[in-house]
Amino acid sequence: MTKVVLQVKNLSKTFKNFTAVDGISFAVKEGEIVGLLGPNGAGKTTTIQMLLGLMTPTKGEIQYFGKSLVTHREVILKRINHTSGYSRLPWRLSVWENLDVYGHLYEVKNHHQKIRELAEAFEITDLLPRRVLDLSAGQTTRALLVKAFLNDPEVLLLDEPTASLDPDIADKIRDYIITERKKRSLSIFMTSHNMQEVEELCDRVIFLSHGQVLAVDTPDGLARRNKESEVQLMVKDGLKRLIQMASERKWNFNEKNRFITLTIPEEEIASFLNAISRQNIKYADIQIVRPSLEDFFLSVVEGKNE
Amino acid sequence: MSKRRIWGLVLRHLYNFRRNYDRMVDTFYWPSLDVLVWGLTIFALTRLGQTSPVQIKAIVIAVLLWNIVWRSQSELAVSFLEELWSENIANLLATPIRKVEMILGYFTLSLIKFCLSFTLTAVLAYALYQVNVLGLGFYLPLFIISLMMFGWAAGFLTISLFLRFGTTIQTLAWAGIWVVMPFSAVYYSLSVLPDWVQQVSRFFPAAYVFEAMRSVLFTGSTPLDGVLLSVGINLLLLSLSLVFFLQSFKVALKNGIGHLK
Repeated sequence: MTKVVLQVKNLSKTFKNFTAVDGISFAVKEGEIVGLLGPNGAGKTTTIQMLLGLMTPTKGEIQYFGKSLVTHREVILKRINHTSGYSRLPWRLSVWENLDVYGHLYEVKNHHQKIRELAEAFEITDLLPRRVLDLSAGQTTRALLVKAFLNDPEVLLLDEPTASLDPDIADKIRDYIITERKKRSLSIFMTSHNMQEVEELCDRVIFLSHGQVLAVDTPDGLARRNKESEVQLMVKDGLKRLIQMASERKWNFNEKNRFITLTIPEEEIASFLNAISRQNIKYADIQIVRPSLEDFFLSVVEGKNE
Repeated sequence: MSKRRIWGLVLRHLYNFRRNYDRMVDTFYWPSLDVLVWGLTIFALTRLGQTSPVQIKAIVIAVLLWNIVWRSQSELAVSFLEELWSENIANLLATPIRKVEMILGYFTLSLIKFCLSFTLTAVLAYALYQVNVLGLGFYLPLFIISLMMFGWAAGFLTISLFLRFGTTIQTLAWAGIWVVMPFSAVYYSLSVLPDWVQQVSRFFPAAYVFEAMRSVLFTGSTPLDGVLLSVGINLLLLSLSLVFFLQSFKVALKNGIGHLK
């Protein structure tokens, strides 16, 4: 049976009259990548801060490797690491100096060697002598990722790991994460606004809304909760008949220069295709776009899926 | 407890120190300027016949000793501010470092900076005014220990306030300690002050040290009671400030220390 490396039970955080996180529970297994999604203010950052021991929960319990974070803080923090949007590195220090300091703080053996290896993997070897002050946002993100991997963590908490990175570098970093997971059963708990990234990396997604867990599922499972697909087609003849059909069946549609996009419940797509054939509507470039994780995200933000 | 983690914290600030002119000015420039300005002022008064050479010595050594209090408090407070300014506090506190290691790290850092700053100002005092602080003999280490403990107590009190109120009150890192200076009898004897100031000064441990320092300079010795009392009061103050620090840490964690600015 796969071990649970992170267990959260009934976690809550209340600030005066505002409840940021409201009794959430979940677990992350060894080697699993779990995404934490939700609109702004859903409680993601508060949750991650509590998972790092940077904020005391109002209620609930956090356990890593079967041990409480409150009573085994030092032992646990040695075995995990993180990057987050609300932290930076001391800007006057060079990248090397920063990583040297964190090598000591995490008590990494042969940390100079480890820094060199990771710097190569994240393509920042040439940046090591440069001050953090002189780095671009993307370069700083990579330096923070090197810090995050410095102690060979067993659990990694990543807050927007590839934000501000060029697509090619972001791709390499995703590959590195996948390789590390395969190589040593690394578990990752991550937030991201890049839905494609979440679909590509995550085994499961926890969707937060107003501090509560709204859904836990695979990225595909969440996407499928949205029952409507988009059908896009270029109508050569019969546009008026098609618009009338959409209006009668109360489907949403958008039309411009004979290109029409219809939002149709998935189970009605087959009958729609039959109907346009029967009504002799001539079309080209038909495309059926299945619901994605992003559609689920947007439907929650718009209040349709809550 | 991990020596390596303590060294990691010290190293973070030493790396910063060698690249940060602000910190160099704090450690070398202001203390040196203090010695220069006060020394020249008293030197001028001596030439005008208004004071004596031994009083030059008392004032210059007072400057050196007051700098121990000031630098000890300020080094601790500014080092903590550096974490807030660079938004590194979440990274630091998400490492396995323990609070006791942080405290010892800051003490070590303060000691290193003290050695640098005190050596420079002591050499300057000797070179410019032939004032040899080593002339205080075995009293000197006692004075240093007592004053440094007082500076650390004030430093941790300041850090505790930063943990509660963030950088909005950052000026306390430089200005806070000066509020005790008038009652610490740094440049003048307690006996010439108004009664109420003398009464208040009894609660300020630095006052006992500066009184003892003048006694050593003017008479060659001093009863140890006052100095030992100051060490005792400082032990109490340091303990109280560390308790306040730990409590403030809890308050900061309740609010979310990662967002502390």
